[in-house]
Formats: sequence, C-alpha cells, structure tokens
Amino acid sequence: MPVRLRFDEEHALLRDEARRWLAERVTPAALRRLAADARGDDPAWWAQLGELGWTGLVVPEKCGGAGFGAVQLAVIAEETGRKLLPSPLLPTLLAAKLIELAGSDAQREQFLPRIAGGEAIATVAHVEPGGVWDARATTCTLSGARVCGEKAHVWAAPNAALFVVPARDAGSRALRIAVVEEGAPGVRVEAESVLDPSRRQGRVRFQNAACVPLAGDAAAAWSAWCAWAQTALAAEMAGGADAALAMTAAYAQTRVQFDRPIGAFQAIKHPLVNVLIATEQLRSLVFAAASALDAGDAAAALLARMAKAAASEAYASACSRAVQFHGGYGFTEDCDAHLYLRRALASRPALGDAREHRAAIARTLLDDGADLP
Amino acid sequence: MADELDDLRARVREWLRMNLPPAPPFALPQNALTVESDEQLAWLRAWQARLYDAGFVGAEWPAQYGGRGLARGAQRAIDQELARAGAPFLVNNVALAWAGPMILRYGTEAQRLRFLAKLLRADEIWCQGFSEPGSGSDLASLRTRAVRDGDSYVIDGHKVWTSLGRFADSMILLARTDPNAVKHAGISYFLAPMRVPGVEVRPLVKLTGEGGFNQVIFTGARIPADALLGREGQGWELATATLSFERGASEGSAGASGMGGAGFGELLALLRSAPATLRADAAVRDRFAALAIEATALRYDAARARVPGLVTDRPQALPLMAKLTGTEHAQRLADFGLELLGADASLGKDATAPGAGGWARSYLGSFAGTIAGGTSEILRNLLGERVLGLAKSR
Repeated sequence: MPVRLRFDEEHALLRDEARRWLAERVTPAALRRLAADARGDDPAWWAQLGELGWTGLVVPEKCGGAGFGAVQLAVIAEETGRKLLPSPLLPTLLAAKLIELAGSDAQREQFLPRIAGGEAIATVAHVEPGGVWDARATTCTLSGARVCGEKAHVWAAPNAALFVVPARDAGSRALRIAVVEEGAPGVRVEAESVLDPSRRQGRVRFQNAACVPLAGDAAAAWSAWCAWAQTALAAEMAGGADAALAMTAAYAQTRVQFDRPIGAFQAIKHPLVNVLIATEQLRSLVFAAASALDAGDAAAALLARMAKAAASEAYASACSRAVQFHGGYGFTEDCDAHLYLRRALASRPALGDAREHRAAIARTLLDDGADLP
Repeated sequence: MADELDDLRARVREWLRMNLPPAPPFALPQNALTVESDEQLAWLRAWQARLYDAGFVGAEWPAQYGGRGLARGAQRAIDQELARAGAPFLVNNVALAWAGPMILRYGTEAQRLRFLAKLLRADEIWCQGFSEPGSGSDLASLRTRAVRDGDSYVIDGHKVWTSLGRFADSMILLARTDPNAVKHAGISYFLAPMRVPGVEVRPLVKLTGEGGFNQVIFTGARIPADALLGREGQGWELATATLSFERGASEGSAGASGMGGAGFGELLALLRSAPATLRADAAVRDRFAALAIEATALRYDAARARVPGLVTDRPQALPLMAKLTGTEHAQRLADFGLELLGADASLGKDATAPGAGGWARSYLGSFAGTIAGGTSEILRNLLGERVLGLAKSR
C-alpha cells in the first residue's frame, strides 16, 4: 500500500510561523553580512530559534522538546532552505535525533534538554577525510570512553558544543556512537574554507578524547537516522530549488530583450518548466518519505534515498538555470543566484549523491525483491 | 468515509474474483484508442456493460442520469482495483472521461437524460472531433463550419485522428458558427450524431501498424439544432474544459481507461529475469533506478495533489503536470525496456520476441500519449504561462 500523506492544520500553522520569522530576518543582505563574518551565523537568531522552540522541534517532550515528527521537520527544513538560513538548526536537530535513536533514557536526559533549550549547538560528525560519509565505514575507534580519529566536513563544527561521533569499537569492531563535548581534552576543531558560506563546516580531530558512548544499538540507530537525515536535507534542498526557480521565473517575467519578456521564449520557458517539474516531484518524494517515517513504515528508507537522489539533481539544475537565465547579471556577486548554487553544490554529495542512492535503490528493488514504495 | 471506500474496494475485488473474463480468442487492443475490429468492439462493449450493471461505472454520477451517486473518491478506488486486477479497459473512454463529464456539467436536462445513461453502459459509443488537418496545436484555427438552417445546423469540414470514429454513435464536435468573429469567439461545441447522411468515416493506419484511427469528412451533414452544447460562441471555453478532463487535470470521470502499454511492473519483471550480466551492469541499474524514482514521484504527485495543504503555493502545478509527466515517463520506460532486449528488439510481433513484441508496441504507441490532447511542447507552454507566470509564447 502506498504511504498516506499527512499534512493538516498544525503543519500549516508551523509553516506560516516559519515563513514570517524567516522573511523578517534572513534576507540576502543579511546573508552577505554573515558570509563575511568569522562565525557565520547570528547568535541573536539562534537565541530566538530556542525561544520559538524550533531547536527542540523533534526532541521528545519529556526531554524538553516539542516532540514533533518528520513532517514538521520537513516543513521547517523546506522553509529554512528557501531562505538559506545560516543558523545550524538542521545539524542540531539531526544530532538530537541520533542521540535519541542511539541513547538510553538517561543519556537522552543528559544531552537533549540542552539542545532543545537552545544552549547547545550539536552536530553529527560522520564524514571522514576522503569524503566517506557512511558511518558503517568509519575508521575512528572507541576504547572504553575514549575516542580517536578524524572527521571532516562536519557541519557547524566551529560553533558546536556537542559532537555525535560514530566510531568502531576497538575490541568488537562493532559500530558505536558517542557524544563528545567541545573543549574536552583531545578535541581539536579547525574551520574549513567553504564553498557555501551560509553553512560552515570544519575538521575535527579526536585524540583519546573523553566521550559518552551511547548505549543503544548503534547500527540500527544509524540506519534509522539516515532516513531522517536524508529526508530533512532533501526537504531543505526542495525549498532552495523552489526559491531559485521563483527568482528565475520572476526575472524572466520582467527582463525584456527583443521587445519581449524573455520568459516568452521557449528556450527559457521549457527548461524552467523542467525545473518546476523536478522541484514538484522532489516535494512529493520528500513528503512521502516524511509521512512514512511518522507512520513507522518500512518504506521510509527507500523513499528517503529517492528523495535525496532527486534533491541532488533538482537543486543543482534549478540553480544552474538560475545563473544562466540571469545572463551577465547572473555571473555577478550581486545576483543571488550563486548563493543558492553554492548551497546546492555543497548539499549535492552530502548524505550520499544521486548515483550512490540510485545504486542502492537498484539493489533494493532488483536484488532484495522489494516493491516500489 | 475511508471505511466506506475500503468496503467498496473489497466489493470490487470480490466481484472481480467471480467475474473477471477469460481472454477472448482474438487479440485485444492495448487501449480504447486502438480498437479496430467489430469483434473487439463487441467484446469490450459487453465487458463495460457488465461492469456498469455491477455498479462500477459512473459511481459518483447522480442516480437520475444512470450513476450510483456515491461519494467523491469512489470511482478512483474502483479504477485502482480494476487496474490492480489487470481488468480489461473501458472501451467508451471518450464518453466516460471527456464527453460525459462535459454533458453533466454544461448540458441541458434533456441532453443529460438523452445521453448519459447510454454512454455509461457503452450502449452508445462516442468519439471526439477537435483536430483538423490544418489545426493541431493551434486548435482555435479550425475551419469546419456549422451553419444554422431552421431546426438544424449544416456541417461541412474535415476532422482527423478520430479514435473510435468508425464505431461511434455521437461525436463531441467543434465547429465555427461565426466566420466573422475573431478566432476563438466564433467556435461552438456540438453533441453531434454520427449516423446521419453526409458523414463519411475513413480509416487511418497508425505508426504501430494498428488501426482505430480515422478521419471524418462532413459534407452538408444536417444535425439537430439542440445538439448544441452551451451557447453559440461558447465552444472554445468548453473545449478548454474538455482538454482539462482529457489531461486528467479535472475530476469527474465516470471510469478510467488508461493508455495500456508497459508499466514499471513490466520493467521490473523484465530486469529480474534478465541475464545476470545485464542485471549487474551499473549503467543499466542506474537508469532503472532513475525510472523507479520517477515512477514513485508520479505516484506521490497524484497523492499530494489531493492534500490541500501541500499544494497551496502552486495549486495548478500538479494537475497541469500530470499528463505531461505520466506520458513522458511511459515513453522513457518503454524505450529503456526495448533497449534492454538487445538484438531481439529488432523483432516485430514475432512469437519468439520477448513479450510477443509488447515493448516495441509500447514504445511506438507511447507517442500517442505525448502528442494527443495537447503535445508535451504545448503543455510546457501552458505550465510556464499558467504556473510560472511567464509571458505567452505566441
């Protein structure tokens, strides 16, 4: 049976609230100001996100959060993606989700209230030098309550208070997940120079760093988390693709050449419609994946991969058309198109690119005999 | 509501278990637009009548016009169960999906009583007379004339691509009633009888080698004045509404017919049974997965279109996309299937051809989808203009 899509009044209210908050603050001018800023995000915004309760959006209620599900997360991700919000909300929410999935009750109580309350920026440090993102291939090691190894391209690393770190148990070789506090002895964080200044990232080295190994089944938690993370990132990318499309369509309505708005030319119109189609299909996959996660449907993993694969392609092509169809202006720093293009290119490989997900989808359908979700 | 639909689905499944007919001794066409012989028509007509008598055609239409008056969603549930069971298609497709909903919405009481029950049961077959040799994408340039003469209109002109034309009792016909009005304003819409003097139907052969296609030549054909739907000059507005039904962008169909052809299930089966070397090929797997993603996206596009909160930003996008994305996906899928056959793709309807030549037939036939009812190019114009607000291309 296909997944039943869920979206009701409370989702719509959250979306309206997000749109209002973002529209008043996260403007292209603010993005340019923060791009030149050493920290890269506005601490006042982060404080407000905590007051709004968004930093605890998917944190269980008994740990101080709102206890919302994947559809709400998709709504917030889509809206923040539309505006390229530089605050590390998505990394923090996804880190909270992994602690929830892999931690014991006591461990959730230990970390999640700090995250939900907005005190702690958190991030999952899962990518390793060379770009391997899947924790099941980690080369970091965990011995007792000490972690060793190196992570790269860690979102929000320069500003994070908590790192959620997949590592291999030095004894059993099993996958484990540990939480490391920034500032603990043996933790060294180095900001990376980034393609997309609206999402900062860094390299983190752990040299026998003290950590809290999470008690749950790490492999199961990791698989479940991937579906959440891919869905949320795909939602963010859908919002970005939609914004890039909207700005290009608006330009094509008003820019006149050969005595006509350039949108009248099918050389512009038809490729833009292809972007529209890809973006709308992406949104359908995102909300299918999110609804499947909330329903506990086993199809969620496959739908999340489909959504991320579609997002990797749709967002990049929406932005490439945005730059191209703005002509000479599109090639300038003044035009906002490159702000989206940078986010699209940086997000494209994150949590798996399209080619990798398609290979996995083929395995699921052809070799494992699964049905179309 | 959901419970009622579940009950209905169960009833359809149960009925199909008892009543799904064995295949006839002759080949059935892939869809309603490809019916070519009398025996095919008779068999398909009988099947639609049985489905109607069981209550599965016109489920949501009012009872006084032959429908069952069920709640919204009932027909879609029935159509899905029929498709899932692989039931034969409904032959009176033009009537159920386009002509019927138009008569229900715009017809007089007399027209509704005259036509609707008969078309639901396939007692009367309908065809469509829109396109002309000189008027395809630019439909409003049509030249067929209808001249009022007492209680009649006299029709002269030439219609093409008329599926079911040879069998049809009636045609939804566009003709120019006012030659002096500007292009769109002079057109009227008729529910025209086909079995009158001056109507000649000539068969055309499709690129698949199949028949079912016709041209219809009107030479002084006299039709009653009350065959007019709506008002004189309202034809373009009504034609646009019909195209919206034809593209699946409006709800109200009395039964789905489908284009037939290979679907994702066939592709999956083909690859699962393919030689290991082919199945292991990374390029093959990549293309296969891309089609799987697209098939899934189409499924959830349709689901999302029915969730108001998820379409608030662009309410027209998904309905206007449906025909374009569905037919282009079907075309890509059939093309890929045919390519996977390797050298066997060179076979025609040869008995040794994989799927008895079905992949070639599906691919060749897929162009009906991307051309009929507005070409993909015209639909991209429509989406660009109506959804993205871009200036008209003409």
